[in-house]
Amino acid sequence: MPTLRWLKLFTGSLFALLVCSCAPDRENVPDAKAGGRLFAVSFMTFNNPFFVDLNEGIKAVVEARGDQLVTLDSQNNSLKQRNDLSDLLQQSPAAIFLNPVNWEGIRGTLLEAKRKQVPVIVVDTDVSDPGLVLCQVISDNLGAGRLAAGALAQVNPNAKIAILHLSTAKSCIDRVTGFREGIARYPGMSILDTQEGKGTIEGGRPVMQDLLGRYPELDAVFPINDPSAIGAYSAIESAGRAGKVTIVTVDGSREAAAYIRDGKILSSSAQSPTEIGRVAAEKAYEHLEGKPVEKDIRIPVKLVTRENASEFLR
Amino acid sequence: MKTVRELYGRLPPGWRAQIPILSATAGLLLLFGVWVPNFLTLENLVDIAQQNCVYAILAFGMTLVILIGGIDLSVGAVVALVGTVTTFTLLHGWPLPCAILGSFLVAGAFGLFHGFAISKGRMPAFIATLASMMVARGLAFGFNSGRPMSLPDTQTALLALGNGRLGGFFPVPVMVMLVLYGFMAALLHFTVFGRHLVAIGNSRSAAAFSGVRVERKEIAAYLGAAILTAFAGLVHASQLYGAEPASGQGFELNAIAAAVVGGASLKGGRGSMTGTLFGAIIIGILDKGLNQAHVHFSLQYIIKGSVILASVWLDARRRD
Repeated sequence: MPTLRWLKLFTGSLFALLVCSCAPDRENVPDAKAGGRLFAVSFMTFNNPFFVDLNEGIKAVVEARGDQLVTLDSQNNSLKQRNDLSDLLQQSPAAIFLNPVNWEGIRGTLLEAKRKQVPVIVVDTDVSDPGLVLCQVISDNLGAGRLAAGALAQVNPNAKIAILHLSTAKSCIDRVTGFREGIARYPGMSILDTQEGKGTIEGGRPVMQDLLGRYPELDAVFPINDPSAIGAYSAIESAGRAGKVTIVTVDGSREAAAYIRDGKILSSSAQSPTEIGRVAAEKAYEHLEGKPVEKDIRIPVKLVTRENASEFLR
Repeated sequence: MKTVRELYGRLPPGWRAQIPILSATAGLLLLFGVWVPNFLTLENLVDIAQQNCVYAILAFGMTLVILIGGIDLSVGAVVALVGTVTTFTLLHGWPLPCAILGSFLVAGAFGLFHGFAISKGRMPAFIATLASMMVARGLAFGFNSGRPMSLPDTQTALLALGNGRLGGFFPVPVMVMLVLYGFMAALLHFTVFGRHLVAIGNSRSAAAFSGVRVERKEIAAYLGAAILTAFAGLVHASQLYGAEPASGQGFELNAIAAAVVGGASLKGGRGSMTGTLFGAIIIGILDKGLNQAHVHFSLQYIIKGSVILASVWLDARRRD
């Protein structure tokens, strides 16, 4: 009777697993820690250093108060995000931080959180129905666009500009709006074209090559984030026009800071993921202490230039 | 011990085959019941079923094609396509029955294509369904420039399919899953068609020599898998309150994992709907238990991988 033997072995090993797993994981159980409250954060993906930093920002505040933060990775899967959060909602967390894969698709979870009276704080994303959440904490994307326009105006007030857009993302739409506002103050500047750069290195490069071929007078470009800026630089360099086309962008990543130090990119308006996380966590605690919290919080951006690039190289 | 063995011996073989998976389910429930506070509450357990019904419905269809030694990699993409077709047509004023019929026809077309390409065209199932996975994904992105669409709030019937609760408690999608399970289990285990599928999986040529119309049955199996995918797609769209063309990625792997953990053999000829149902439930218990025990997500992937590996290993041992 081989099946029965396997059955015995299986039950035995399960029991062993049970005994082993109970002991070391005790400290993970929230009840075991006096006053330790449970918080959860769900990201659309963990495959981006931006979210790793944001997570650290939240974690630092939560753990400083002796509470516990559980981090969940949705792998860009709306159903996984919904299931993950429903698991945690069963355990009555003090608050949930949310970076939704799909704002519409998460509605079921928000309704459930509302029913269970768990506050939800949205990070790094705009929402279409803010009524269901406590507040949203986002980078000042309009300001990021304005800063980029200002940096460009200082070196070339008569720039002929192209924009590498990512028009499906609200944050990037805001950046371009801010950029257009900024350059409207300089009558000598003009925007020649706006193309989809897909927000990636491999997406930005071919689009920039086409633009360089079509507009010989082009002397500046605004790619909406660092990866597409790096792609644009690669196209400019291979066209032999390095130094003749100025690049201003948004993000302030380590990679872009190195390009800025070397003079390949003029500036990047740096977001502060750690700061977004810190503020989001502070707001959660303010709400739990009964204080009112403003609905829409914008985290300022900071301009990375050649002078301060070394600060961002860490 | 003797009486246990005697009882065990008296069980019909179909029941006996389910003993390992049932005891694994019970063992996991016990494990997490001790490990995680308040794990074994009714609400939590119902939630497991509710979270995994899309995967389970897909896995029922996957079991059909795995049983004949095939595979269907396109189900995740077809789930997204069904959602976008339904939402898109509803937004353009189609009545609900027409929109649903439209999505079933789209999924059915994929099923028929798989059946003909694999059975009559003798294309490897892996390649044929990999190709149609890309086609279905591309078609899904073709609607609304690839951006998510919301179901109109007036579609209460469709929204209830994924989010409603019977009597304020029992989730409607779980009901759908159980009805489909009953139907598929009856089809597979109590009809000639089901026995023919097993025969084809064991040996295609032997089945053909015994007078089974192999090609017809194979086409029917792929069509069946596609129709179940359409059901899963409707439930998924309802749960997301709309269509998301990028969603459903990796669902095919979850469905295959559920079938394999449930005792289906990728070589064909072995598998059962009950096993697959519990396979999906086991993965669901693992997901929820590890989440609620606050195990880091990196470790969760490793544990889930090990469980799948262990069940395939057990399967290989049982075959020898």
